[in-house]
Amino acid sequence: MKNLFLRTTGLIMAGLVVANLFVFISGIVLSDEINNFEQKTENLHKINLTLEKEAAKLSSINFAQAQAKEFGFTNSTAPQYIDQLKYAYR
Amino acid sequence: MTSSKESNPYLKTNKLYPVRGRIYDRKNQALVLNQNSYQLYVEPKKVDNKDYLLESISKSLEVDEASISAKLDMSKYWVAIAGGLTQEQKDKLDKLNLKGIGFDYQTKRFYPEASLSAHIIGFLGKDDQGEDVGHLGLEGFYDQDLRGLPGFVETERDILGRPILIGVQQRVEPDDGRDLILTIDKTVQEISKKRLLEGMEKYQAKKGCVITADPKTMEILALVCLPDYDLEKYYLFNENFYSDLAISDLYEPGSVFKPLIVAAALEEKKIKPNDTYNETGQVSVGEYNIKTWNDKYEGKISMTRILEKSSNVGMVYIGEKLGNNNIFNYLEKYGFGQNTNIDLEGEASGYLKPANSWYPIDYATVTFGQGIAVTPIQMIRAFASIINGGYLIKPHIVKKIVSEGKVTEIKPKIERRVVSQMTSDIIRKMLVSTVENAEAKWDRPKGFAIGGKTGTAQVPIKGVYDASKTIASFIGFAPANNPKFLTFVVLYEPKTSIWGSETAAPLFFKIANDLIVYYNISPSQ
Repeated sequence: MKNLFLRTTGLIMAGLVVANLFVFISGIVLSDEINNFEQKTENLHKINLTLEKEAAKLSSINFAQAQAKEFGFTNSTAPQYIDQLKYAYR
Repeated sequence: MTSSKESNPYLKTNKLYPVRGRIYDRKNQALVLNQNSYQLYVEPKKVDNKDYLLESISKSLEVDEASISAKLDMSKYWVAIAGGLTQEQKDKLDKLNLKGIGFDYQTKRFYPEASLSAHIIGFLGKDDQGEDVGHLGLEGFYDQDLRGLPGFVETERDILGRPILIGVQQRVEPDDGRDLILTIDKTVQEISKKRLLEGMEKYQAKKGCVITADPKTMEILALVCLPDYDLEKYYLFNENFYSDLAISDLYEPGSVFKPLIVAAALEEKKIKPNDTYNETGQVSVGEYNIKTWNDKYEGKISMTRILEKSSNVGMVYIGEKLGNNNIFNYLEKYGFGQNTNIDLEGEASGYLKPANSWYPIDYATVTFGQGIAVTPIQMIRAFASIINGGYLIKPHIVKKIVSEGKVTEIKPKIERRVVSQMTSDIIRKMLVSTVENAEAKWDRPKGFAIGGKTGTAQVPIKGVYDASKTIASFIGFAPANNPKFLTFVVLYEPKTSIWGSETAAPLFFKIANDLIVYYNISPSQ
């Protein structure tokens, strides 16, 4: 009877240790996941701000002006007149 | 992250900063956003080679080594070295693997359109506690809305920084700042700024302002004053550059004021547009003589002609017909001497001396806009009231305030009715005639009915008017039958000509030309 009690207690204790280990390891895994998600959220927030900034830059008048200048749209070309229309009549 | 309780070293509390509200123009184009930023700090006790550290930071940030050295007190545990670092600067320093340095994450303002709207926006500085605080313009006026409410996180963490699940875990999310959607149209703003800059260079003016508003709602579409300042480096500028002349500068408006008195006289039925006045010469008021700008007189002229040729003596006549009490009452009705309560920080109210301090000469000169101090925003508000059907409307810059899931729309607020619809219709026609038959001829958009009035105000210096220094202005609107925009141009002390008709007026027509194209307004004549 005593042996049965000791064995049962031992088994329960072993079970509790295993369960405790499982909870402990799960806790660490979960904590790591929380940490990861926190970092990912933070990174996403930063990326979001960077993308928002890039999008705003690309739709800004400043950017449009710089592009227009680069492609020569802002330089008004001197008009070309056809003086010798006689060629057109031939 | 900081340890909050001595008794529990695992308990950490961290303030969660709200994201400051962003600012957009009326078409949801960004004017102010937030961007990632870092503060570089050094823990001197962990530094093993101070000289190498200084040299590395100096090279990476392109900052003088001596200025970093001055901040780096080796007896301390933590020293802030530089704020506002970009991601690229941080990455550059990270690669060097310097011992004893670290970064704190921050956000800072980003201006996609640079300083296009510097005075409207204002800037973000720091208070005594090192917290962000908005100054001037919208950043100052809407600081509470923009800044939001901070949250906090209280969490028990193990030595590796992982949350202890059975420990304290509490998180109160921050309430992010509200976004502002403005009445400003960045294209109109760009047109105004570009043209003002060109005009100031051409006419060699000291300062200048352009305000464009929708006269029916007093939504400000553009507001530019130059010189302004660089929003990113506001601290490099003298505080004189910060003041927004459009709302804070008091000046004598000159002849742009005349239509207000004419409208008052029409409203009180003291005059009709075709009534005549015999303009024979100078007019004496007490010991003073009042004359026209060129001292030339046309004999019998109509009330409309008085505006067309901007006759000071004609205005004195209209003022006499209107009466002193009416003049003073209308000045109050037009809102002079009172704040317009525009939603920008830094507005001056102007000054209207009490009625019992007015001398006869004051009533005479005020009819042509001298002897009264107004701000440009007061002037455009009053002028809008005579062309929009008679309503004095509070000018505003913010159209909507957006918080999470809630949009608060700011509607036009009518202060009072100043003149009737009929008076407004008559004065609009008179002002179109003023543009078409003015003594100066301008290169104005053909086929469009544009109304307006020039102004040339002398500047009082130590109680005496200096004839060589003037404030030249033009206020105009288009299309005349149903105004889409009202633009007020003010040039301070132009040198090429002292006259509004030769400086501010041509500049106005350049802006009007651009706006007519932008708004796709059809010709009416």
